[in-house]
Amino acid sequence: MATQRSHFEFDPGFEDNRLRVAWYAVVVVLVAVGAYATYLRLTGGMATTNLTSVVPWGAWVAFYIYFVGLSAGAFLVSTMANVFEVEGMHRIDRDALFAAIISMAVALLFVWIDLGRMDRMYFPFIWRQLTSALSWEVHAYVAYIAILVTELYFSMRIDLARVADRTSGLRETFYGALTLGRRATSEESQAFDHRWLKRAGIVGIPLAIFMVHGGTGVLFAVSKARPYWNSGLFPVIFVISALLSGTALVMMIYVLRTRLFDGESVDPDLLDRLAQLVIGFIIVDAALTAIETFIAIASVHPHEIETWQVIMYGPMSWSFWWFMIGFSWVFPMVLLTKKSWRRTPSVMVLAGLSVVIGIIAVRFNIVVPAQVMPVMEGLPHGSYFPTLVEWGTSVGMIGVGLLLYTLGAETLPLTPLTGGDHE
Amino acid sequence: MSTTDDDTLPGIPNVGKADLDAMVENERPDPREELADVEADTDLGVAMAEDAQRVARGELSGDEYWEKYDEAAAAEFGEAYRETPNPAVDAGDQTVTTETAESLSCAVGSMDTVSTESAQIEGDESAGGIGAGDEKWGMVIDLQKCVGCDSCTVACKSENRTPPGVSYNVVMEEEHGEFPNVTRTNVPRPCMQCDNPPCVQVCPVSATYKMDDGVVNIDYDRCIGCRYCNIACPYGARYFDFGENYDDEVDGAGELTSSEYGVDRGSREEGKSPIGNIRKCSFCTHRLERGEEPACVETCVGDARNMGDLENPDSDVAQMADSSRAFQLKEDEGTDPNVYYLK
Repeated sequence: MATQRSHFEFDPGFEDNRLRVAWYAVVVVLVAVGAYATYLRLTGGMATTNLTSVVPWGAWVAFYIYFVGLSAGAFLVSTMANVFEVEGMHRIDRDALFAAIISMAVALLFVWIDLGRMDRMYFPFIWRQLTSALSWEVHAYVAYIAILVTELYFSMRIDLARVADRTSGLRETFYGALTLGRRATSEESQAFDHRWLKRAGIVGIPLAIFMVHGGTGVLFAVSKARPYWNSGLFPVIFVISALLSGTALVMMIYVLRTRLFDGESVDPDLLDRLAQLVIGFIIVDAALTAIETFIAIASVHPHEIETWQVIMYGPMSWSFWWFMIGFSWVFPMVLLTKKSWRRTPSVMVLAGLSVVIGIIAVRFNIVVPAQVMPVMEGLPHGSYFPTLVEWGTSVGMIGVGLLLYTLGAETLPLTPLTGGDHE
Repeated sequence: MSTTDDDTLPGIPNVGKADLDAMVENERPDPREELADVEADTDLGVAMAEDAQRVARGELSGDEYWEKYDEAAAAEFGEAYRETPNPAVDAGDQTVTTETAESLSCAVGSMDTVSTESAQIEGDESAGGIGAGDEKWGMVIDLQKCVGCDSCTVACKSENRTPPGVSYNVVMEEEHGEFPNVTRTNVPRPCMQCDNPPCVQVCPVSATYKMDDGVVNIDYDRCIGCRYCNIACPYGARYFDFGENYDDEVDGAGELTSSEYGVDRGSREEGKSPIGNIRKCSFCTHRLERGEEPACVETCVGDARNMGDLENPDSDVAQMADSSRAFQLKEDEGTDPNVYYLK
């Protein structure tokens, strides 16, 4: 646990300059690939995808729900610090909030590129449909982003004010502007921030659970034409797997940023706490998925059984066995069971990365298999694998997210200047 | 060809040109008798008609014709005579020169403007626009009569000019049983125009909606192309327009589009709706509005498809939909389709 320091240093960004160059080079390549693929997508239209009228939703939708999940999960981890005031968690409060904001921005990029008419992306704010889950979701996302930004502001403002006080010129203007004019660093001002941070978090919790991620699950679950999605447990699994991926992401970011940006040592207690959360979420996620699968198969509904056969034995079954079961559950679980490993930063980065990649397969296995079986006998079966344009644009949008996150981490006081917990 | 020609083929009536002309003359009404029934001057009418034939034969110019009759016609018909469209304006192949046409001082303008105006007046009469009719359109498809020829699918493609990958109507063909006890069922599938349409329920921008006549409309100018309705439809009746064309197969395939839902969108162009939108069968609303049956109904070789007003108890479709043979697809979905099948 970091101790309170009477005077603090503010030097965000990579410790190692060569690492900085290498990292930005990687990110720039990702963004450049994405830019070219996006150019092809914009000029060639939706025909550049492997989507059809039988499988109208593909990689972009899968990545969209994946990033919404990452965001909701990371946000809920942040509430452990700022709403439930779990000891020792304040250190990762801003990391989690900032990652949640970036994830949500990336999710919206994926929704945008998926629209047949990208130029009409603002239409849902002009015309609505009360019975449409998607119509509600779009509004929930906006409200949710507003909550996230509000929270990050109240969480970080006092440090922004401190940094602004110590710098001059352009930097002072920049950090001063981010405080929105509230430059006080007194204890009263900090208490005010904490109060409003908690209030925003309290509003955000139901918003994230019921509307943002639960709602995204509902969006699929209400589709009665697709029995695989049409279950009450489905949105719950959505939220649990969101928590799993979000916690794993925050755990990974905590280690990487502490090591590479702050040049400090990782707090093994905090790491262990995050790791135990990941264990809990893996167990619940696997259990609920097993229940869902069992109910589906026990129903002996041909559509359900055939869909599960496609998932488990179809041409894409590797994504189920290797990525969904292997990377998001089994492999991290092995790494997490040993106490000394849970306190070893490098092992936990590996576990976090494994989950974060594995959950991508979970999202693909939600979106695609339900569309393989035709809605009526006699209609064609679907088959789908993303085109290079779809992969390229996806890589690019993820690159944009990484770029935004890195730029933020290099400029903003994401690590509390006064150390860990609120004093 | 003459009546004395010996080379006439067996089975061909041996009739000459003179006989045919005589037959026509025999059938032709007497001009004086016909004109006696109207108020206008019979002599003037006969004279103008005979001179008009001369104009047609090229013995008289159009200008001379109007010089000769303009005054007499104006005197005979009064103000109504001037309130006619000017035939020479906006047209290149008239029998009168523009000067003569203008000297006639027709008060109404060109033929084109007159036809457009009258069309608009007709449109105004059916207030409420497209789909506001009193009927509740329904379709009944007799599976005993369907032979599985797919001509409905073809007629639909040609009527609605749908691109590759978009087919508002398909025929689902299934074989049952094992040899030699096999049967085959052909189930044509248009849009069901459900009374409780899941597609309408999920559209985030209300771009798809029920019209008063029961048809589910898609507003191509509002649809954002999210394809949620495509996912929600239990009948697979919705198709996304990926912008593909038949240009390789047909020259100028995209020059014309169908005026679906009564909107004329001109030629098919990249980036222009309905490309990037969801599409589906509209019961050929544009045909229903002008009193025609949908293309698939009109073309059906076995007369298996019927279209009519389900709310009129005397209509054929209402009676068929009420029969014990009638059923709907996926009745337990609660969608209540307006397409019925007879088993």
